[in-house]
Amino acid sequence: MNTFTQNTTEIILESISDGVFTVDHEWKIMSFNRAAEKITGISRKDAIGRHCWNVFRSNMCQDECALKKTMQEGKSFFSSSTYIVNNKKKRIPTTVFTSLLKDKNGNIIGGVETFRDHSLVEELRKKLYGRFQMGDMISRSQAMRDIFKILPKVSQSDSTVLIIGETGTGKELIARAIHDLSSRKDKPFVAINCGAFPDTLLESELFGYKAGAFTHATKNKPGLFAAADKGTILLDEIGDTSPSFQVKLLRVLEEKVFLPLGAVKKEKSDVRLIAATNKNLSKMVDAGTFRQDLFYRINVVQLKLPPLRQKMEDIPLLVDHFIASLNKIRGKSVSGIDKTALGILMTHDYPGNIRELENIIEHAFVLCSKGDITKEHLPSTLTRQSMIATEDNFSQFPLKAAEIKVIKAFLKKNNYDRKATAKDLGIHKSTLFRKINKLGIKLPKIDGRFKR
Amino acid sequence: MKVAVTVWDERISPVFDSARTLLIVDIKNDKMKNISYKSFNPELEASLAEELSLLGIKVLICGAISQAYSTLIEAGTIQLIPFISGNVNEVLESYIKGNPLVPAFLMPGCREEEENP
Repeated sequence: MNTFTQNTTEIILESISDGVFTVDHEWKIMSFNRAAEKITGISRKDAIGRHCWNVFRSNMCQDECALKKTMQEGKSFFSSSTYIVNNKKKRIPTTVFTSLLKDKNGNIIGGVETFRDHSLVEELRKKLYGRFQMGDMISRSQAMRDIFKILPKVSQSDSTVLIIGETGTGKELIARAIHDLSSRKDKPFVAINCGAFPDTLLESELFGYKAGAFTHATKNKPGLFAAADKGTILLDEIGDTSPSFQVKLLRVLEEKVFLPLGAVKKEKSDVRLIAATNKNLSKMVDAGTFRQDLFYRINVVQLKLPPLRQKMEDIPLLVDHFIASLNKIRGKSVSGIDKTALGILMTHDYPGNIRELENIIEHAFVLCSKGDITKEHLPSTLTRQSMIATEDNFSQFPLKAAEIKVIKAFLKKNNYDRKATAKDLGIHKSTLFRKINKLGIKLPKIDGRFKR
Repeated sequence: MKVAVTVWDERISPVFDSARTLLIVDIKNDKMKNISYKSFNPELEASLAEELSLLGIKVLICGAISQAYSTLIEAGTIQLIPFISGNVNEVLESYIKGNPLVPAFLMPGCREEEENP
């Protein structure tokens, strides 16, 4: 390289906004450009001659060093899920590109690492993402976004809230979000599953007991109402409580006092109550299995969480969210999910809702360490389910076969107009799409909406 | 007194947040005793400071650490000595002798007055 070219290269390296450093075969830094100084906060003088891991300080340095892989395999590598920790204890998200460093004769003399500060991109991404996020909940669906919109006001009101939703829809997450957005946020948040305890145990858990209240009660034990003083308590599965417990709870709500087991003096209660259930409480009131007065008392603000099958548009968003958090927790670098696998997830019904989806992704993480999650990484029950309804095995699954036949007939009748077919079948358009995908019905390349 | 160091082979892990092994050593009468290794993942520890306290750790020596973990650990009773680099044995021997780890083992670009271990 002549002097002119060398100077030009140096000028370019100094003027670009990407950090660039080079290392020798002993992993010691040989050069460190101006952007590298700016991003890491380390001067060139301090960096040169030091081991790259002590300067760059990335989460990849220890086990997944891209530069090491480049030196071993002679190939370039790109990584997008990395961060460095600077001397101000700040994590800086970065992307990294590595390649070999050769002299003019083509001999390998070390490696080059180019990195880019992604803090701004990350910040913008979070803001964009934040539109669909509240606390630890994430959703693009209109129903959930409506809840997100009113949640700050609900939180500040201090009213009792009733959360209704199937298992796994995130009732506890929403209760926690209400607590975190309220003026009680610095006080405890306590959750208890009422359905898990028999009556007397539930009472002692909630209200506590005094020494001598029963055999083995050797000392006073404060209950959860005392533990959550000035905070929030979530009574999950409230529909599973007995009528006698319901009376006691009603008294706490009305009089703002509770009586620990074996006590003679009532104790004051300053706790915000959030109740949750997967049951239809108004039907239970009609049937006489849930007290009407308690129902009215807890049903001040009602939040209804839709099941996942009614907000299938959330699946890609949730999958990305779970992949990102599991990558962090498990120290893996799974990049995403491929189209086939996502297609399978989109056709499942999710009786276990978001929790079930989370478990499916966790299952995939056991089998997949990097790259995309594929069909092979999904639980076999899911992939089997997506296969059973193919037209090749009609005889084994007569019900599915009948369903395929009916849908196909109605599609044909409506000239493959999906909207009209759904209307004819008396189901929602999205349900029809789901069934078409799940049953593996092949559609011709015409769309009935655009008749010639 | 129990001292813990996040290690990577013979050296101190460059980043605490992604460290996977904790070396725990008992220091008695200026000598290292009962050296043990524990697999460790800070991202998985729900109550990091409590976990470390339960192990009886009084001092934690580590490399670069992010603010969230640093605050968690320092909020407890553990003394944190961050931004340390180098060979684990050399660092521990120096610590036992009472020699200051800073600036001798301080990571590049970290000023002494900032860390004050």
